[in-house]
Amino acid sequence: MARPAPDVMTRPATATSGPAVTDTPTRGSAAGRRQSPADQRRRLLIPFVGPALILYTVLFVIPILAAVVISLHRWAGSGPMTWAGLDNYTTLVEDELFLQSLGNTLKLLFVVGGAIFVLSFALTLVLRDMAGRKIVRSVLFFPHLVNALVYGVLAGFVFNPDGLANAILRPLGVSTPQWLAQDNLFVLIMITMTWMTTGYYTTILMAGVDRIPPYFYEDAALAGANAWQRLRHVILPLTWDVFGVCAVLWTITSVKIFEIVWIFGGSSGNGIPPTKTWTAAVYTYATAFSGDSVPAFGAATASAILSLVLVTALVVLLRRVMRRDVIEF
Amino acid sequence: MTIRVRWTKALAAGAAAAVALAMAGCSGTDDAGQANQEFTYWSMWKTGEPQQKVLAEAVADFEKQHNIKIKVEWQGRNNLQKLVPALNTNNVPDLVDGSYVKLYPAVVATEQALGLADAYAADVDGKPAGEHIPAKYLADVDIKTADGQPWMLPYQIQSETIWFNAAKNPELKANPPKTWNEFIAALDRLKAAGQTPLAADGDIAGYNSSWFVTLLLRNSGPGALMRLASDKTGAAWDDPAVADAARKVEQLVKGGYLIKGYNASKFPAQQQKWANNEAALMYMGSWLPTESAAYAAPGFEYASFSFPKTGTHASERADFTGFAVPKKAANAQLAQQFAAFFLSKKYQDKWGAEAKVIPIRADASIAAQMAGIKADLDAAGAYHLQNDGVAFPGYNEKTFWAKTDELFLGKITAAQFTTQMKQAQIDYWKAQS
Repeated sequence: MARPAPDVMTRPATATSGPAVTDTPTRGSAAGRRQSPADQRRRLLIPFVGPALILYTVLFVIPILAAVVISLHRWAGSGPMTWAGLDNYTTLVEDELFLQSLGNTLKLLFVVGGAIFVLSFALTLVLRDMAGRKIVRSVLFFPHLVNALVYGVLAGFVFNPDGLANAILRPLGVSTPQWLAQDNLFVLIMITMTWMTTGYYTTILMAGVDRIPPYFYEDAALAGANAWQRLRHVILPLTWDVFGVCAVLWTITSVKIFEIVWIFGGSSGNGIPPTKTWTAAVYTYATAFSGDSVPAFGAATASAILSLVLVTALVVLLRRVMRRDVIEF
Repeated sequence: MTIRVRWTKALAAGAAAAVALAMAGCSGTDDAGQANQEFTYWSMWKTGEPQQKVLAEAVADFEKQHNIKIKVEWQGRNNLQKLVPALNTNNVPDLVDGSYVKLYPAVVATEQALGLADAYAADVDGKPAGEHIPAKYLADVDIKTADGQPWMLPYQIQSETIWFNAAKNPELKANPPKTWNEFIAALDRLKAAGQTPLAADGDIAGYNSSWFVTLLLRNSGPGALMRLASDKTGAAWDDPAVADAARKVEQLVKGGYLIKGYNASKFPAQQQKWANNEAALMYMGSWLPTESAAYAAPGFEYASFSFPKTGTHASERADFTGFAVPKKAANAQLAQQFAAFFLSKKYQDKWGAEAKVIPIRADASIAAQMAGIKADLDAAGAYHLQNDGVAFPGYNEKTFWAKTDELFLGKITAAQFTTQMKQAQIDYWKAQS
């Protein structure tokens, strides 16, 4: 669906009084044209957009195109490249480990994403009327400031067989759970991610909720609305665009999650994490940089390109699903 | 339109100027490097490590004696990961170092390794540098390029062994178990005496797999894992010797010899417990004494015995760590000169006595805790590489280690292991073809 263009673009040329263009000789039709803002805009497009476009092309577009080319080859990172066609892609799609890694990425995206949004929204509603909310908000935001690596290393102290968690549980009669067993690692990573990120989205959502003018609530109260109705008819519609932005931000973040997985199971960098915890990003890295076998840059790049396609498709889809008419207030 | 044309021209001129400047910038540095007689070295050691201190001394001595400047970057163990992308540029170091298992994928698989005939021929303490490397290692460990030149100049050997505290378990020093049955009997004795027999950090896949790998090499000799992994039909997994190696790993797991929590902890938690006398034995690389020195219990006396035999095969793991020179290196000659210089007795002695690792030269000093493992290496008749040199793209990380993890962590039985590995390997080679 085409959206209406901004009004400046459709404003008739005669409505303004720009200087006459002197250096364009009359070419057949009109006897000397006046320059419209649209024309001016068009003329300034190159000098203003050009530098950014060049930078973007050099730093992003060309590398992505180069990556596509590399992904069609077998290549150990340097030295000879051999043409592989779409082999890297077909191998990936058939590789159970890649599908499992992709599944983990999707778990982070949807399960952790869902948990974060429910928690953030609940916190936002609780914090809205709370005394000392600014301090609480800072405290909630704090985990997001700390590098994910710290949590990975901390996991060892807390969850090792003789760690803090078991030290607390033992007097309660709980027989020491095997927190860091390979089967439990990914769940721990998901919980840690939720805890780390909730504060960040709470802060964004709170900013959205805070700008709702109080008279909407007063009006709702006068109309006899209960808390649920107020949520349904006032808060949600007026913060919908903020939700949309948060959803896109999380989608992009979740597809890139790497370092916490690497450190959580990866013995602080001394080894590679168990394959059960791999995300698509970890799969890509391990394929290219494992260090203990011949690097497969072609396959790694193919995996990166597939991730890029995935994130693009998801963002487009999300924007479509979340699209509502923005309510001006 | 003239205005647009003018803009385009200006833009084109600007872009051309930028390109010209960039090219001038690139070409400007070339000549300067030659004139000063200098070369670049990306080291696998980090500032402050004992090895780095010895190397730094050699660098300083070499600079003084030969009036050559060495631009050293103490990058640490990921120096070769940085090297691979750098090999596509003109910013290539003249000298790098690393272990065989890391150097091979980075420079040999990419066909970027220079033959080091000059370094091997250079005079060190009165004879060619190459002759300081014991010939029996070179007979088993293949470090030759297609044209027959060695691509690596090793200065250190890493091995692995079964470590224990001789102060606490002197009986193991007096009478070390030599066969697998004696080993199991020793584990039973330790268990009966109330000790935890074995420590292991089960979160490191490479350590977990080393039990199966070494047992297989004991059963079938060096090269057995390479033959097994290379078999595209997977049929090699039906070999009784393979099944036996897997069953012996299962025996360790089911026998309850391993420290509690080894399957749910984070390195180096279990290694720390071992160094604190909470477990008797640890199967680990020759680096263990230096790595665990900081937290070892007072009076801990490092001692070791060779991995028990299951038959006649008794090779020792001998991984080279050494120098390599990329083909693209601009100052390859100087780099080779320094690599040979570092094999001088002076630095090899310090490598053994101060850095407390195993120097390549047979006549170099050795630290007390390394005496046992050095004696085993000297006495051995054959050698094998870490992981038997298997480095097919992704094979270890994605296929092999995932299954040896499950075997060693007690998730699957020996029979399931061989069946699942057979299928996984067939799938692996199908995907590679």
